[in-house]
Amino acid sequence: MSTRSERHAAEDDAAAVEELHRRGWTDGLPVIVPTPQRVDEMLVMSGGLDPDVVLGTIGPADGEATVEKVAVNAVMAGCTPAMLPVAMAAVEAVADPAFELSAVQVTTHGLGPLVLVNGPVRRECGIAAGTGALGPGHRANACIGRALRLVLMNVGGGRTGTGDMAQLGHPGKFTYCVAEDEERSPFEPFHVSRGFDVEDSVVTVLGAEAPHSVLCVTDPDEPDPVDRLVRLLGASLANTGSNNVYLGKGNVAVILNPTHAEILAEHPRHVVQERIHAHAWQHRSLLRRLGGDLIADGAGDDRLHVTANPEDILLFVAGGDGQYSVVLPTWAAGTHGSLAISRSVRHEKACMVPLT
Amino acid sequence: MRDGATLARSGAAVAVLVTEEFLEEAAFIARAVGMPDVPIVRLPHPTAGVGEAAGAAIARQAAADIVDRLRGGLADEHQV
Repeated sequence: MSTRSERHAAEDDAAAVEELHRRGWTDGLPVIVPTPQRVDEMLVMSGGLDPDVVLGTIGPADGEATVEKVAVNAVMAGCTPAMLPVAMAAVEAVADPAFELSAVQVTTHGLGPLVLVNGPVRRECGIAAGTGALGPGHRANACIGRALRLVLMNVGGGRTGTGDMAQLGHPGKFTYCVAEDEERSPFEPFHVSRGFDVEDSVVTVLGAEAPHSVLCVTDPDEPDPVDRLVRLLGASLANTGSNNVYLGKGNVAVILNPTHAEILAEHPRHVVQERIHAHAWQHRSLLRRLGGDLIADGAGDDRLHVTANPEDILLFVAGGDGQYSVVLPTWAAGTHGSLAISRSVRHEKACMVPLT
Repeated sequence: MRDGATLARSGAAVAVLVTEEFLEEAAFIARAVGMPDVPIVRLPHPTAGVGEAAGAAIARQAAADIVDRLRGGLADEHQV
C-alpha cells in the first residue's frame, strides 16, 4: 500500500525523532517514527477507506486530513491499529463546520477538544472510563487524544503563535480522551441520547476548558442530596471567570462520578439537566460589574444562564467513586458557541493487504 | 484574516486590521488560504480595554492607514 505522504530519511530512529522535533511536527514529547511499514499496519484498520480519502478539512491551514495523514499521526501518537477508527471519527467530528475548528484553533481562549467515546469500541481499544480516566496511565486515552492533537497541528497548522493563539492553553491540549462509564451510569448512554443506537460506537467532540472540580460530600442522612448536588453543579458552571455565563451559547459538560450519578438516578437525564440549568446562572448586575460591556444593559436582576437550554448541558458518567465530579466550561463564542459534534466509528478492517 | 481573504477573493477592496500579536498568525492564514497579499493594517496590541481616549486615537490612525492601504500605499511596512 503506497503512501502519498512525503518521505524523509534519517540515520536511525533517534535521529528521525530529532528531525521530527526540529521540523515542529511533534507536541514536544517524543513520538513513534511513522515508517511506511508502521503506517501500512495502521491503515489495515482504516474501516475499508482508501488512504487518500479526505475525512475533513482541518483549519486554520485548511489541510486535508486524509486517512493516511490520520494514520501517520496516529502512529506518531503511539496508537495501536485498533485505535485508528476512533481517531478517524474524532477528526471527522472536529472537521464538521459546526465545530468551527479554525476559530477553536486560533482563539486566545484555552480550550482543547475533548473526545468522548461511547459504545463497544471502548472495550475493543481499552479506553478508560473509571478512576483516573483523564489522567496518565491509560494508553488508549492518551494516544487517541494525542493523535487528534497531532492532526490539528500537522495537518491544520495549529501551532503555538501562528495557528494556535491560546494565551496559556491547558494540559488537555496534549490529549483529552475519555470513555463514558455506560455500565455505571443510571441514564441512557450519552450517544443514545444523541440519537445513536446503543450498539453503535460513537465519538463526540467538544471544545472544552480543563475540568473544574466540584466537591460534593454526600451524607446518607441528608434530606435532599439531589438539590444540593444540582445547586453545586449549576453554580460551578456559572463561574464568573468562564465565558459561558457571559456569552450563553453552545454546550457545556458535566461529568458525574458514579457516586454522584447514583444520587441523581431517580431522575432521567433531561430532568437532571433541567435542575442543573435552573441553578446555572448569574444576575445581570453582577456580570455587568465584573464583565463590563460583555453584557448588554438591562434589568439588573435578570438571570443570565450559562446555556440557552437545559439540554445544552451535556451530562455523562466517568471517573472513580467519591466526592468529586467535574464541570467543563467551554469557549461559548463563534457562531454556534462550542457545539458538541458526534460521529460514528468505523470498525471494519480494510480489504487490502498492506504491502511492505 | 480568513474573512478578509474571502472578501478579497470576491473582488471587494479589503484591508484587514490585525493587532501586533496576531500578525504572524494572520500571515500564516493568508498564505494557507492562498491569498498572501491581502492588505494588512497593523494595530497595537491590545486594542481592547485601553480606554476611550486611547481607543479613539488607535481608530484615527487606523482609519488613515486603511485609506493609504486601499490606495496602494504603506506597501511592505505593514505587511508581514
